[in-house]
Amino acid sequence: MARVTKQERKDGIISVALKLFSEKGFYITTIPDIAEKVGMSVGNFYNYFTSKDILAKELVVYISEYIGAKIKKINESDIATEKKIYEIVSMYFDMADEKPEMIEYFLRVYLSNREVFKEGCEGMICVSAFVTELMIFFDEGVESGDLYDQDFFSAFGLFMGYLGGMVFLFGEKILPDSLSSYKESIAQNIYNALKAR
Amino acid sequence: MITKKLIDKIEGEACVYFDIKDRVVDFATIAFPNFRGIQEILKGKNALDALVITPRVCGICGHAHLMATVRAIEDAYKNGGYEIVLNQKIQKIREFTLIMETIQNHLKWIYLTIMPELAQLNKSTKILTPLKSAFGSSIAARAIATFAGQWPHSSYMLPGGITCDPTNIDALKAKSYVDELTSFFEKESLGIGIEEFLAFESCKDFKNMDSDISFIEEELIKAGMNKKGFSHDRFIVLGNHSYTNPSKINQTRIYCADAMCVEDIDSYSPNEKTYAKNAVYSGSYYEAGSLARQMSLNVPIVKNMHRRYKDSAYSRVMARIFELAYLLKESNSILDDIDISEASFNAPQHINAITATGIGVVEAPRGPLVHKVSLEKGVIKEYKIITPTQFNIGSSTKSDPTPAQKSMIGVSKEDALFIFRTFDVCSVCTTH
Amino acid sequence: MHSKQDKKPTLIWFQGLTCNGNTHSFFNLHNLENLLNKFEILYHPSLESTKNIDEITACIFTCDIFIFEGTYDPLMKRNDVLVSEILNYYAKDANYIIAAGTCASFGGMFKASAPERNSGLIFNEADHEGPIIKYKHKVINISGCPIHPEWLGYTLNMVLSKKELEVDKLHRPIELFSNLSHHGCTRNEYFEWKVDSDNFGEKEGCLYYKQGCRAPMTHASCNKILWNEVSSKTRVGTPCFGCTEADFPRQSLYSTKTNMSIPQDMPIGVPKRSYLTLAGIAKTFSIKRLEGKLIDYKKTH
Repeated sequence: MARVTKQERKDGIISVALKLFSEKGFYITTIPDIAEKVGMSVGNFYNYFTSKDILAKELVVYISEYIGAKIKKINESDIATEKKIYEIVSMYFDMADEKPEMIEYFLRVYLSNREVFKEGCEGMICVSAFVTELMIFFDEGVESGDLYDQDFFSAFGLFMGYLGGMVFLFGEKILPDSLSSYKESIAQNIYNALKAR
Repeated sequence: MITKKLIDKIEGEACVYFDIKDRVVDFATIAFPNFRGIQEILKGKNALDALVITPRVCGICGHAHLMATVRAIEDAYKNGGYEIVLNQKIQKIREFTLIMETIQNHLKWIYLTIMPELAQLNKSTKILTPLKSAFGSSIAARAIATFAGQWPHSSYMLPGGITCDPTNIDALKAKSYVDELTSFFEKESLGIGIEEFLAFESCKDFKNMDSDISFIEEELIKAGMNKKGFSHDRFIVLGNHSYTNPSKINQTRIYCADAMCVEDIDSYSPNEKTYAKNAVYSGSYYEAGSLARQMSLNVPIVKNMHRRYKDSAYSRVMARIFELAYLLKESNSILDDIDISEASFNAPQHINAITATGIGVVEAPRGPLVHKVSLEKGVIKEYKIITPTQFNIGSSTKSDPTPAQKSMIGVSKEDALFIFRTFDVCSVCTTH
Repeated sequence: MHSKQDKKPTLIWFQGLTCNGNTHSFFNLHNLENLLNKFEILYHPSLESTKNIDEITACIFTCDIFIFEGTYDPLMKRNDVLVSEILNYYAKDANYIIAAGTCASFGGMFKASAPERNSGLIFNEADHEGPIIKYKHKVINISGCPIHPEWLGYTLNMVLSKKELEVDKLHRPIELFSNLSHHGCTRNEYFEWKVDSDNFGEKEGCLYYKQGCRAPMTHASCNKILWNEVSSKTRVGTPCFGCTEADFPRQSLYSTKTNMSIPQDMPIGVPKRSYLTLAGIAKTFSIKRLEGKLIDYKKTH
């Protein structure tokens, strides 16, 4: 059997922790719960993350970098701004479908338990990879003349608030149809709201 | 016969066309070549960009253009319903840097223009030291840079204030530059203390000196410049400053004046295309500059000079030299009054909110500088610049000559060329 | 008997379309007289010269150093002679041709007087074209609106000492133009920690985010070799307008061009992604010392 590297072990912890935190909640989930599910001793767990809070922060960075890398790929592709919006929406909804724990963690743990993140994860520190890519997206959109030049947060809130809201409705099983069936109309709405006037 | 003379060693170039009869100038017309179209360049630009563009009208008095622009835009704010109130600190620092620019201008004119030309006219053998003035001027430029970052071409004035936020270190540094410049002027130019010089009340007092300035005074008399170069004996001062009294003067009678009465009219230049228009006040030509300003202030020695020699070339030159000393003293007292704790800038309404016209009037080294701006949502629709040289050195017809034209009539061509320069010609300003 | 004077290199300072700002800026050089004494000045528009304008425009002498101030306008005449002819005549035999200021270097402010025809000596903005392109190897551009006195002083001294003067691809001496005008700005710490200047008229804050400062995008040593030996634009709270670059003058000079609050132009060579990552993080921190006033005069009274 191939030896499991330290990084793979770490990824394993992250994957399990994401699931447990988003299913059971941040406070209820304990380190022994995670260690057990990963199949390691609690002592060994501490070799990877020295506390639950540190794990919590690393998870945010992990998700941010994961989404950031996806948006970067879209940013660098040679397609129109309108199509990029669709691709970002599509990527986000697919992720909510396929890796719901990531989005769940982001919405239910990171955004709802700010006290956990107040030190070392303030402002943009942990989500920088993801926010930076959206900045690049907006900047290029305005520079190419496709998007209207407005305050960054007005646009950011509209874009991400909208997507987050839909995923929340989906998670609450309120949406009558699959998430992917909304991609087209939502991408169109976002584009209409942001496009050059 | 009409003879053409290209005049350089002034700010830019001018062409004077002399009509000589019986060895004296019967009439002369003046053409300024080399148009730059700054008014056109300004159209369609953000109003604040004018603060960067107009100082580039002129390398020697760009700061006056900056001040005229900021005043014009501030006036547009007022006319657009958002009056800007400037505190004492802002006004005084702006005033100080403007004065320093005038001082460096006068110094250069004395040493680079007046002394060499006068020496040549009188065939004097005096060894000249023209670069002395560059050194003195560089001290004035340092004093400006202390607040304005650099000279020439600073853009540190903005509607609502100034960009710098000086400490007492800066204010004291500026003061030490003024001290240094004063000592320089006393030692190198006057030969006596500035207080003693400023206390002069009669032209006879100039005899008590032995220096560059007394050399100029003697040579002026030797060349008969106290009896030549007379203009209309009408003067105009329009810029409002601590050291001016905006007024229109007929001989010695002083009346109030308003820049709204200024307009520019087409000039008469039959021999060459000129890019300069003539500036008139209520339709008439007036002389502008140091002599006008000092007359408006009733400065005793200038009044004495005028009583003796009227608006001769002598009075024009000596009043300017006197003004240099006067401004040095004034700049010192301005610095003493600056309260560093006041704000440097009070942000006005965004410029995009302004649709209005405004006028900015400043006493530049050579006289009134008028900028008129018309803004639409903060964008320049029209920009008009009228410069002091347009007042002094327009080119008109023989029946209604401009101050410079009148001053050259009836003298030899050589004298006329000197008299022409007593107005301190700024061709670059004029061909904006 | 030959006096030393005979061996002085000859210099002509000639003008195109100009405001005289480079002339007056150069006059501020501290050691001006000593430097000028090392040359024979055949012609200068403001200084005593050994030849007059008629002799100069007759194109009968040659000179070692030809300094040109102002924008080149192919239709412009001086003393009824096309500047183009004069320029080509002196350029041919001169050892060095110095474009004094941005107008002569790239077209500058007065390119706008007739944009379809005006240019610098060997550059039209950043395009390599101009009236004396065939003598380009002799041309040194000292851009700046106006020229910095010490930059010209340095260049003349280099020429006098026959030292190799390396230039960048815009023909500017690299010892003067490898720096950015950002280098040495007293506001650098505010740039590092992304603390914006809220307003003009403050000692505190960086002018890059809102006030249009071009210092991180401008090759110039203004904050290293101070203006008038005293200060610089950014030190007195005026944004850098990028006056040494080929695209001067740009527009909306007192405000930063942003796209959804993100500065459009990045410091030279810095990828936007790297910049935004760093900026986003730096802006998160609240550093009291950098956010407050350096001196509160009202309080200390």
